[in-house]
Amino acid sequence: MTRRLPLFLTIGIWVLLLLAPLALDDWRISQLAQFLTYGLFALSLAFIWGQAGILCFGQAIFFGIGAYLMALITLGKLPLLGESQWTGIILGAVGGGVGAFGLALFMLGGRGLSGAHLAIVTLCAAVVAEVAAQRWDFIGGFNGLLGVPPLVAPYTRDDMFLSSNETYFLVLAIVMAVYLLLLLISRSSFGTLLAAIRSNENRTRYFGFDVTVAKLFAFSLAGMISGLAGALFTAQFGFVSPPLVGFGLSTEVLIWVAVGGREVLLAAFVGAIFVRWVENLLSDKLGQYWLLAMGLMFIFVVILAPRGLFGRILNLSKSR
Amino acid sequence: MMLEINGLHAGYLKGSQVLDGLSMKIGKGESVAILGRNGMGKTTLMRTLTGHLKPTAGSIRFAGADIAGKPPYRIARAGIGYVPQGRDIFSDFTVEENLRMGVLGKPGLGSTVPDLAFELFPILAERRNQRAGTMSGGQQQQLAIMRALLGKPDLLILDEPSEGIQPSIVHDIGTTLRRYADTHGLTILLVEQNLDLVNLLAHHALFMENGTIVERVDDIARLQTDADLINRYLTV
Amino acid sequence: MELVLTIGLDALSFVLTLLLVTLGLVIVYGMMNVINMAHGELFLLGAYTLVAAQSAGLPFWAGVLLAMLVVGLAGLLIEELVIRHVYGRPIDTILATWGLSIAIKQLIIIVFGPAAISLTNPLPGSVSVLGIDYPAYRLVIMAVSAFLAATVYLVLFRTSIGLQIRSVIANRGMAGSLGVNTRLMDRGTFAVGAALAGIAGAVMAPIMSVDPQMGVGFLIPAFLAVLVGGLNSLLGAVIGAGIIGGASTTLSSGMAQATAQICVFVIAIVVIRLFPNGLSKGFR
Repeated sequence: MTRRLPLFLTIGIWVLLLLAPLALDDWRISQLAQFLTYGLFALSLAFIWGQAGILCFGQAIFFGIGAYLMALITLGKLPLLGESQWTGIILGAVGGGVGAFGLALFMLGGRGLSGAHLAIVTLCAAVVAEVAAQRWDFIGGFNGLLGVPPLVAPYTRDDMFLSSNETYFLVLAIVMAVYLLLLLISRSSFGTLLAAIRSNENRTRYFGFDVTVAKLFAFSLAGMISGLAGALFTAQFGFVSPPLVGFGLSTEVLIWVAVGGREVLLAAFVGAIFVRWVENLLSDKLGQYWLLAMGLMFIFVVILAPRGLFGRILNLSKSR
Repeated sequence: MMLEINGLHAGYLKGSQVLDGLSMKIGKGESVAILGRNGMGKTTLMRTLTGHLKPTAGSIRFAGADIAGKPPYRIARAGIGYVPQGRDIFSDFTVEENLRMGVLGKPGLGSTVPDLAFELFPILAERRNQRAGTMSGGQQQQLAIMRALLGKPDLLILDEPSEGIQPSIVHDIGTTLRRYADTHGLTILLVEQNLDLVNLLAHHALFMENGTIVERVDDIARLQTDADLINRYLTV
Repeated sequence: MELVLTIGLDALSFVLTLLLVTLGLVIVYGMMNVINMAHGELFLLGAYTLVAAQSAGLPFWAGVLLAMLVVGLAGLLIEELVIRHVYGRPIDTILATWGLSIAIKQLIIIVFGPAAISLTNPLPGSVSVLGIDYPAYRLVIMAVSAFLAATVYLVLFRTSIGLQIRSVIANRGMAGSLGVNTRLMDRGTFAVGAALAGIAGAVMAPIMSVDPQMGVGFLIPAFLAVLVGGLNSLLGAVIGAGIIGGASTTLSSGMAQATAQICVFVIAIVVIRLFPNGLSKGFR
């Protein structure tokens, strides 16, 4: 394997995504656009887990916050904030970030939680969030909120709704921007600090770095991206319901990232698209056996390929 | 031969070898001390011999059988007793429970502490029901040695037994252990910085440098007289 | 007064069953540093073994015994096929056992279907306890759980096998160098921990609705109990199970079950945050 292969593959993947509308019909393109939002969601978890070493079992909380905020705003349930989708998207991201910041402040402040403690506390938080969403009538309770309008054009025209291809390109542009931002961060000195925290938190602390602030920032940023993904997802999917904040989706995204490769952002992103795509392909044929196969595949990947299926071939940094 | 090591390689990370083709032999009933500066691989050798670190190459024959890479409990059952650096007594257990651990793991030795345990080091009888962690360093060391001896080893490995213990106690422990080894035909492999204890316990000395044995001194008295030897291998 | 007594008895029976599940988690964590996310599915497997045994016409207690054996064996198999390969990689043990829990749950759904199954109570009727009528079968559950938990403690603290297990927990390397067969201990304790969860699942099955989600329903309280009590402490398991089990039962008598559940979770999270080493160590 040449040293340049990961770079070629990385560029190749983005070029393929850009060209996809040429080869796929409308229905497939809107499917792929949805997968892109899952990929965006996976990017956020890969950032917090793979880069900063924080295993969060409740990432869907922030995805769900973004999704619900988008639905509430576009359905006009928060009249003070207007009904614009753009407000929804921005507030979705901000809401996810604020939620993550709050949870992180609680967990990480002072002699904070880490490792297994943090994993289980976030898992419980996700369950609490899901049950709370089920019981809160304002946000639709068990049934959630229906009829969220699809994405519209930012300027006035005859058919305001975006076509499948337009939606796809909008989502792709956002995803690419976030990917580049995260890549930039992980290669900056802040990224080095996160890597140091991941490999030895205490030693990093002794060197005089403020580990808590760095983790807070990383966690909030990941929450923001999850919220953004949630908002975009809602506009495409048309409705929100309690499982979106829950522990099921939280663990699903964990599987996508682990299968793809937790240490490499793009690997996690491709992991999400790959798993969803295989699921679409096979879940009809395999039915009940699909989840069984998924569980087994997950075990195999963790035991035999802890760096994921794509972690090695998409790793852009020379070392490791 | 009690112990025969050939071309042993071991290390912690890929590519870095702490033990670099080490070879040595110990005859039955012999006591051998390994000396050398810090970082030369002495503790790594002990950990490899006792199965806590897998060698990457080479062989370790103990009483005729190859034990390289076997798990610690198999090596212990084959007849190697281990008193690690820092002693590793079970500090939450009582003294008696610690001593019971010396026989429990060995099939055929029963599950009660034989009287011998309290004869050799009388302090252990006094402290029998005390929590081991509350004892002094010297007392803990006696406990760790006794615990290893109760397993009836043919070879006893001691890693820095004098560390952190006052010299007079070290001397007592050394005398007692020498007497026990002579009457029971015990083979001893000792890593030590304290030359007094080395003189008391060992028949021969091996000097270790960069992961191999570089010199063998058959007459232990030479350590007292040959200042050059000490300067070359021990002084920093 | 009667209400208080009933709630007290309900709480005690829940605490004791929770303790059975928690003990397995604590011992496995202490021995091997493995956080077993599939432990709830072992509970589930126990309940469904009883379902299968009952539909095959076996008597109730034979079903419970069978559950113990089946889940114990499953534990052995899991240790050999999965856990053994991720020793020393604590985060990966969480992930691998998580995959396992998905697989086991789905296997149950494939075999038994997703719908809830209710079993007949093997001991209908009630007994008068301190002046109130209390379901007889719940008293049986308490007796079984108390007996098993006491047995576990006696074995651990009063036998030579227990001493060896505790030596591995205290210092695995040294225990090995004293000849303790650490491999055998790992297998054995994992299987016993699994079997305890299996029995708990089986004896609870007649008074719960048996469905594929009940494993998670028990796993999370058990984990919270472990963390609240202290990850590495056998005494902590009792404290944790007492607090979580007691709080759940008491709160659910006054409000909807789901609300009670999230209240308990929130309380537990706060306790874990304040005492990351667990209450058993926090009080020292």
